[in-house]
Amino acid sequence: MVKWRLRAAVAVVLMAVFLTGCPRKPQDADTDPWARAGETDVFGEDGIAPGSSLDRYRRGLPQDGADGDIPGAVPSPLQDVYFGYDASDLTEPMRAILRTNADWISRNRNYRIEIEGHCDERGTGDYNLALGGRRARSVREYLVALGIPAERLSTISYGKEFPVCHESNESCWSRNRRVHFVVRPAQ
Amino acid sequence: MAEAEFAPDHMRHGGSYSLARSLVGLGNRRCSIGAGKGDVGRMAKMILWNRWLGPLFLAAVLTTALIGPVDAQVRGTIFGPGVRQYPIAISDLKVIRPDGGPDDAAMQFADIVGRALELSGHFRVIPRNSHIESPQRSGIDAESISFADWSVIGALALVKGTIAVDGEQVRIEARLFDVFQRRLLFGRNYHGNRSNVRRMALRFADEIMAQLTGERGPFDSRIAFVSTRGGRFKEVYVMSLDGGDLRQVTFNQSLTLSPAWGLDGSLLYTSYQRGNPDLYRYDPRSGIQTRLVHHRGLNLGGTYSPDGSRIALATEDRGSPNIVVVDRDGRILQRVTDSWALDVSPSWSPDGGELAFCSDRAGNPQIYVAELRGGAARRITATGTYNTSPAWSPRGDRIAYVSRVGGRFHLFTVRPDGTDVKQITSGGGDNEDPSWSPDGRYLAFSSTRSGARKLYIADASGAFQVQLTQGGGDDSSPAWSRWID
Repeated sequence: MVKWRLRAAVAVVLMAVFLTGCPRKPQDADTDPWARAGETDVFGEDGIAPGSSLDRYRRGLPQDGADGDIPGAVPSPLQDVYFGYDASDLTEPMRAILRTNADWISRNRNYRIEIEGHCDERGTGDYNLALGGRRARSVREYLVALGIPAERLSTISYGKEFPVCHESNESCWSRNRRVHFVVRPAQ
Repeated sequence: MAEAEFAPDHMRHGGSYSLARSLVGLGNRRCSIGAGKGDVGRMAKMILWNRWLGPLFLAAVLTTALIGPVDAQVRGTIFGPGVRQYPIAISDLKVIRPDGGPDDAAMQFADIVGRALELSGHFRVIPRNSHIESPQRSGIDAESISFADWSVIGALALVKGTIAVDGEQVRIEARLFDVFQRRLLFGRNYHGNRSNVRRMALRFADEIMAQLTGERGPFDSRIAFVSTRGGRFKEVYVMSLDGGDLRQVTFNQSLTLSPAWGLDGSLLYTSYQRGNPDLYRYDPRSGIQTRLVHHRGLNLGGTYSPDGSRIALATEDRGSPNIVVVDRDGRILQRVTDSWALDVSPSWSPDGGELAFCSDRAGNPQIYVAELRGGAARRITATGTYNTSPAWSPRGDRIAYVSRVGGRFHLFTVRPDGTDVKQITSGGGDNEDPSWSPDGRYLAFSSTRSGARKLYIADASGAFQVQLTQGGGDDSSPAWSRWID
């Protein structure tokens, strides 16, 4: 009993340390050799996937660029799928793309997939964030139905915040109403 | 906190009151009620050293006193904003300095009073270059003012005053005169640090509104908003209503969205700082940002209940976003909605008993009202296929929202029972993010009507609309605070 309590206490302390963490400050590597020890990339911390739309935004990179130059980013072999206006349902052509994606995902078990939901620029920010979330969940559910373990798939919505195309016309909007996939090595 | 309330009738007899106690109270409610001398001293020291409250506290010695009898001829809402604007002249203050020199604050006070009155839509401010009477060579008593010099340039009301400067301390005596009747309507004295001239001016503008429209103006308040003016990142900023005193609040270098005010001057917002869109609280006293709600997925649109005890927000902790109420530490107290639909953007009724929110449960986004006691939410928008962003007026009588009309987004208001829909904006551009002024007479919102997204205010009828922010970057999501005191 006592042993169990001790273990629980240690676990709680470790959890607390893990959860609170320490804010990493940029330090001069010359004066502090530990500054970059074990640290591959400052933008990769705090659960931000290298090469994700948020990572690109933080780095000031275009959303439609290649992943090659981003440290830690895995060039994604997975294709985006595009949605109708205010829609989150999957059409047969979208399902066909997702089946191809699912093949790759099931053959490459060492990767986790982050499913990003995006919207076009029209409409309210909050509602678009909700809509992007539903698009991402809709894709995730289909991939799970195809046999991908749910724990390999996570979702996040960026609403209308990260367009790949910046003009105000339907051809641009239709490219922005998308689900994008980010591939991360499983830990 | 009675001393913090604005009460012209009470002050007519009461003489003066101190803002100091109310500001201390603002920092920590317990300190204003029965705090020992030591506590007050410690509080004062704490506040003095604070980058935000320090200047305010120094102004806290800013006192107001009534000078003359108040019996304005022009009272009540006999003229509406934008419809017939009341011509007012605001003279620069007469400077009283030991060295006899000029002082910028004399003009600054007049400029800010004028800007606020123009924003109200009720007034037309007669430009300085047409003033005839020199502030330095005239007095501020009815007997020593040449009213003919003001009536000939079309002024019906006149602001005159003095500013006595002693180092960084200023003492302002400001008065409003009826030019036609050649008499004093009311006056106020303010003193404090020079850095507080802005607030003195905004308070005086609110008082002029009280005298001439029957209700205190909303300008001694602040607007929090999201802007990309500092670069590519969306960060939260705070400014005074005249556009001055701009401060960048967040430096998250990420997406930061949807700011909302707490009663104590703190801010809630959602930030992707740690990857997931979590709800944070920023405390201006400590400068510390605390993560409050961080379920996996969206934690969005956090807004304090009117009494400040609870926060409503949309969270995806069970999949699709639902409206929940959490305590001040972010623990879920109540699930207001629990459905597969997208439920977002909660807004409290002023009595704290109901929440308006946006839901697509009927197939497209519409505005609903739910009672916190329970029961089914009622839909209050009947027309259109895209109605979002409800904002419940502090008066309680109307809910503002955004509706898509002909491919454009415009502000509307509706009674909480769904009747009497009024369109507030029209024309080109998209108008979004409505937020009510503390008096419920105005709406702040964002619009792309002139290109980049900028902040505007409109009176509740929409007849009067004015641009609030200029310059580079996009400004969005305005949140209008309550009155500062």
